[in-house]
Amino acid sequence: MAESKQSEQKHNYGLLVTVPVCLLLALVFVFVTSGPARQTGQTVVQPLSPAWYTPELPREEYRKNAVMVGNCFLCHAFWVKQPPDPTVRTPLFAHAAVKLNHGSNNRCYNCHLIIDRNKFVRNDGTGIMPQIPEQVCKRCHGLIYNDWQAGTHGARRGKWLVNKKFDQQTFTCTNCHDPHNPKFRFVNFAPPPTWPAKLVRQGRMENEGGPMSEYIIGPEPREVF
Amino acid sequence: MAKQEKNTLSRRDFVTGAAVTLASASAGAAALSPLMDAEEIPTAEEFLQKHYRELTPADKKEIFQRIEEEIEKQYGVKATVDDPPPLDGVEFAYVLNIGRCIGCRRCVYACMEENNLSRDPQIQYIRVLKLKKGSIDLDTAIHDYPANEAADPDYFYMPVQCQHCRNAPCVKVCPVKATWMEKDGIVVVDYNWCIGCRYCEAACPYHARRFNWTRPGLSREDLNPDMAYLSNRPRMLGVMEKCTFCLQRTRKGRYPACLEVCPTGARKFGNLRDPDSEVRRILENERVFVLKQSLGTLPKFYYVFAK
Repeated sequence: MAESKQSEQKHNYGLLVTVPVCLLLALVFVFVTSGPARQTGQTVVQPLSPAWYTPELPREEYRKNAVMVGNCFLCHAFWVKQPPDPTVRTPLFAHAAVKLNHGSNNRCYNCHLIIDRNKFVRNDGTGIMPQIPEQVCKRCHGLIYNDWQAGTHGARRGKWLVNKKFDQQTFTCTNCHDPHNPKFRFVNFAPPPTWPAKLVRQGRMENEGGPMSEYIIGPEPREVF
Repeated sequence: MAKQEKNTLSRRDFVTGAAVTLASASAGAAALSPLMDAEEIPTAEEFLQKHYRELTPADKKEIFQRIEEEIEKQYGVKATVDDPPPLDGVEFAYVLNIGRCIGCRRCVYACMEENNLSRDPQIQYIRVLKLKKGSIDLDTAIHDYPANEAADPDYFYMPVQCQHCRNAPCVKVCPVKATWMEKDGIVVVDYNWCIGCRYCEAACPYHARRFNWTRPGLSREDLNPDMAYLSNRPRMLGVMEKCTFCLQRTRKGRYPACLEVCPTGARKFGNLRDPDSEVRRILENERVFVLKQSLGTLPKFYYVFAK
């Protein structure tokens, strides 16, 4: 009697081993051999257009390609009337592209030095080198100039934590403003978002409401942006 | 002889056992079959990974290496994942001059590029609201105006992104503490710890958090390889993400991507605790407001009216 009981225990033990081992094997077969492998390298998505995220200022390219800087005397030494007329407002023929639209500042020699066209003019009549046009602008726009010096007006790139000399890239007035037509203009706009409609959270009554929702939750709330 | 036979497994028992095994295996497989459709199943190391704030430097090294290998396997791009620590004595603040913003949306795409946001379906941290001049009526704001309606003199444009509130509702509601505020004031998310319950999305009054409804669609051509664990590494399916002030850049002293690309200079970023910083000068001298001030969220993202 005791012997048969012992053998029964042994036979149960065998079954207890067989079942979990087979189960484990079945799971391994299901999930490791044919299971969901991570999809690798099959993401084919259109990259963003670099024109949308490349830093760009309105007149950065123009300033880079301005080849005539410093060559004004090529014409002005010979072809222009001597002595020059300080009240001139519209250039005769050479600068036809220049349309002066700078408010009451409407005379060429308010900013350009009359005796040396390569330079700009200070209040005292001395010249300003063309590389530092902010010195001309500050004659009238002093408050903006102070802001610009402190960094609160105008674009900056690089580092906010400045340790070395060239950590931060600053720009001058004419990188963004055309001095003859100084209102800020920038036209390279990027497109609106294209969120798929099914991912846009709407909460519209006609989509998700039932027959009683109007009485339960009242009129449809407007989503705040 | 009979005694020996009793000790071995009988044919009947073996057949019964096999039948039971087969039945239970098929029942188990049927019960677990929804997992076959799951798009992402974590590996054992991912599953056992601890919360970011409990990781030792050795753990981090191992985890970052694992993530780098995964990225290389998935996108074929050699990326570096690191974890720049918060700088001492720094609290970041952002100031945006809505008098200057022209709504060109370049910040939106610079952010997508820098932070490896999903291209398809599109996820964007910044929404540029177009509002009628005269009042700040957010109910009538539109954020999907076409590109040719930017720079309209009758409207003003207000980009809205994560405001990094000092009293952040999203941090309060997170049931697993997967989002928290760092020492330098940046609210971050541990993507591996996030369970995707979207409480934070519901709690955020600025709609600044985004949920990965699908596996993020990134293109390997313009994947940004300079990644940080808490910010711009590729996200998983079903986790929350948000603006982190580009901490992979700003904690190394650089400007955030949205600021660098802004053609108008409307965006200003800096250290709030530095009395000489640009943001401090604006906050002390100009007319500044925060969005939805009445909610008491105390944002570190300020808007300013200035010429």
